[in-house]
Amino acid sequence: MFCETGIMSKAKPQQPAVIHKVIMVGSGGVGKSALTLQFMYDEFIEDYEPTKADSYRKKVVLDGEEVQIDILDTAGQEDYAAIRDNYFRSGEGFLCVFSIKEQESFQATQDFREQILRVKNDENIPFLLVGNMADLAEQRQVTEDEALKRALEWKVTYVETSAKTRANVDKVFYDLMREIRSRKMEASRQSNGKPKKKDSKKMKCVIL
Amino acid sequence: MGDGLARILAKPSFEPESFIAKLSGEGEDALLDMRTKVHMLNDDTAQALKKNVYKNYSQFIETAREISILEGEMIQLSHLLSDQKSLMSSMMEMPLVSDRAIVEGLKGEEEEKESPEEETRRNLAFLLEKVEGCSSVADVPGRQLVHDGDLVELDAESHAQLQRVHAFLLNDSLMIATWIPNRRGPMRYRFQGLYELDSLAVVNVRDTGPVKNGFKILMFPESHMYQTDTAKAKRQWLDALEDTKKKKAVKDKQKKEAAMRLAEQQLQVALASPGEGDLSKSFTEDLEEEPVAMDRDFLSADWLQELPEDLDMYIAQRNFEGAVDLVEKVNEYLTGCPKGPALKEFRARIDHRVKQLTDGLMNELQVSPERSLRGGPRAARRAVTQLIRLGKSAQACKLFLRNRSAIIKYNIRQLKFEGATTLYIRCLCGVFFSSLSDTSKEFIKAFPGHYGCFSAFVIWAKQELQAFVSIFRRQVFESKASLTTIADSVQLSKNHCAELNAIGLDIEFCLASMLDISIQQVIEENRDQLVDGIFYRANDDLWRPQNHLTQVDCEKYIKEIAAAGFDIKPFVLEKCFIAITINSIQFAKSIVMFAEDLLKLFTTELEEFIAEAIAAVYRVQVKYIEDSLKNEQLVKEQAIILKNAQFLLETVMGKIEALYSARDLDLPQQLQQINAHNRKLRAMVRK
Repeated sequence: MFCETGIMSKAKPQQPAVIHKVIMVGSGGVGKSALTLQFMYDEFIEDYEPTKADSYRKKVVLDGEEVQIDILDTAGQEDYAAIRDNYFRSGEGFLCVFSIKEQESFQATQDFREQILRVKNDENIPFLLVGNMADLAEQRQVTEDEALKRALEWKVTYVETSAKTRANVDKVFYDLMREIRSRKMEASRQSNGKPKKKDSKKMKCVIL
Repeated sequence: MGDGLARILAKPSFEPESFIAKLSGEGEDALLDMRTKVHMLNDDTAQALKKNVYKNYSQFIETAREISILEGEMIQLSHLLSDQKSLMSSMMEMPLVSDRAIVEGLKGEEEEKESPEEETRRNLAFLLEKVEGCSSVADVPGRQLVHDGDLVELDAESHAQLQRVHAFLLNDSLMIATWIPNRRGPMRYRFQGLYELDSLAVVNVRDTGPVKNGFKILMFPESHMYQTDTAKAKRQWLDALEDTKKKKAVKDKQKKEAAMRLAEQQLQVALASPGEGDLSKSFTEDLEEEPVAMDRDFLSADWLQELPEDLDMYIAQRNFEGAVDLVEKVNEYLTGCPKGPALKEFRARIDHRVKQLTDGLMNELQVSPERSLRGGPRAARRAVTQLIRLGKSAQACKLFLRNRSAIIKYNIRQLKFEGATTLYIRCLCGVFFSSLSDTSKEFIKAFPGHYGCFSAFVIWAKQELQAFVSIFRRQVFESKASLTTIADSVQLSKNHCAELNAIGLDIEFCLASMLDISIQQVIEENRDQLVDGIFYRANDDLWRPQNHLTQVDCEKYIKEIAAAGFDIKPFVLEKCFIAITINSIQFAKSIVMFAEDLLKLFTTELEEFIAEAIAAVYRVQVKYIEDSLKNEQLVKEQAIILKNAQFLLETVMGKIEALYSARDLDLPQQLQQINAHNRKLRAMVRK
């Protein structure tokens, strides 16, 4: 009893209502965590340690609106499809990352794409194809044309990034958030233009 | 008036001195008046006091009685609870034992860690006692507790704190239980959810916002976020989850490989015998085709999910019919279910309950001192019917018969032995044989079509008969009862046996063979006694005719003997003399009675023996007559002796022959031979 009231009496963190859920997918070692950390903390971590599954949350201003981004950094090495499905189901948009200096990682994006489409059952799911490690152009194995061709085929955007130099890092996250946002607006328009329940709730709170 | 005085005296501000002073001032009359009033008040008070004491006393007694009743109930309740507790603990232990075999086969290294594992198992039992509604979780064999701890559940979106939970990481799944705020009793948590580790996605939530030490559990469509107190606790949780998932994956892989190997072997066997090839091939394919999802879907029906609890409830309510109905329903349903691990788990849960149910039903049939046996066979039928429906006809049969044995024993013990053996035996036979026939009728009703059980019944009947015979023997043969009593008793039981023939149970021959030896013994004894009697009487027999002094007395005597079945009129000499001696009359009476009794005991097996016994006695008597005829001193009496011989060999033998023919039997050879002696004796005299 005591504990319960203790918990409940704690102030609820006042946070923006809109949360965009982004999932980082891609083979192991392509720099998913590096991109995430660069975006979150403006840091580049050189040491490589395989991720299991980490989630991050950050308050950002997207086109003048304060929103939250929830990033799920998944493990490239996750062996179990059933578990991976559960990760993917929680996402609203996907950054499918490969390393431009590793052809294999580019090939793997095909599998990830298929899996995501299967799980989300949505051809137009917000999705960006991301070629990371653009700073290491001299070791490039995947040509830009190749990647663009695949992006065109999937009807998605292709962006080359460098977690090290922070090139295009913010762009991929913001572009994806915009896609997610427009998808959400489309969805709410479809349901008779009704504002989202959560929004109305929050509005009431403010008035009170 | 009296009331007024009482009120004055009872006032808290009452001052005796001023009261007396005021009273004494009013003169003698007032004083006397007051005195009588005080006396009256005194009496009234005493009476009231007495009444109150009685009232309280009766209330006290009533209360005491209530308390003693309550105490008795409490004791019963505590017995019941301790029974259930032991049942629970035994149930907890049961699946663990069967699990041992699986674990042993799979992992060598696990054997080394046996003792700590044992401890976690006990932990599981202990912890699950604290969680409400998790019985289905505890049922699964082989589950162990790996890690547990208090967590705070957060809203996955807003990260707002929702509630306190306690999480239990088991070796194959994660169980979440919510904290019960106003708990009563030992239950501290309420079961919220169970997530299989196979597809459980764990997310480490980095400490980016105001929320620290969080992690998420994704299990589509649910996702939950939890928070630990410390970073270390979170680390432990994540490591434990990761570790357990890995271990489970390894184990599953091994199992799968083993299954594959088995399937391959089967395939090879199938290939070797081409006829069955297709069949087993399709079977192995079935095994590989993602069985998990299929059987899970199959089992997701609401009633199936609630079935274990419903069964528990029915068992607790002793609604055995309902429980068996459910079991039958689910069995029928599950036969169509694809095979897979979820089904196996579900089966294990159901089987566990079926076992409980069976135990309950068996307990119903169990003979225990605190249960009354007066329910009769019909009371047992209910439990028996349900057991048969559960496919436990053998146990049901065994218990049913055991129950019946106890009832028979109890009923026999209720009989009081009141001197007369025949009366007691009549009651005994009545109780025993009616129980036997009740049982057989009930048995036929309860086990229709279970012919295997009928042989058990026949064996049982024979055993019971044996028990009956041992009582019978003790009461009849060992109590030195007269031959007549014995014969009557034996005949009585035989008649009862014959009645059982009507329901198709022939145990007469069993009874006869069991009693045979005792009967032979008793016949021999009686025969010897009769022979001794003949010798004894011969010593002082002077072969004098009976003198009844007057004709009237003589005729009275003749009538008396005629009542015993002998016509002695032809043997009357000169009004009041009868040629037949008392000795002969006595012999005639005893031999006829002997023959009568023996014929009651008649069986084909004993035919020879009986005839021989009668003949033996007869022979001794005839020999005695012969000796008497040869005796020089008795030459004068020869006419009388011959008359007596004629009486014994014609009249008495005729009577015995009549007894035989009354049973549609011929006079045996031995006795016919004796009859021939008549002529021989006459010839002796003529010589």
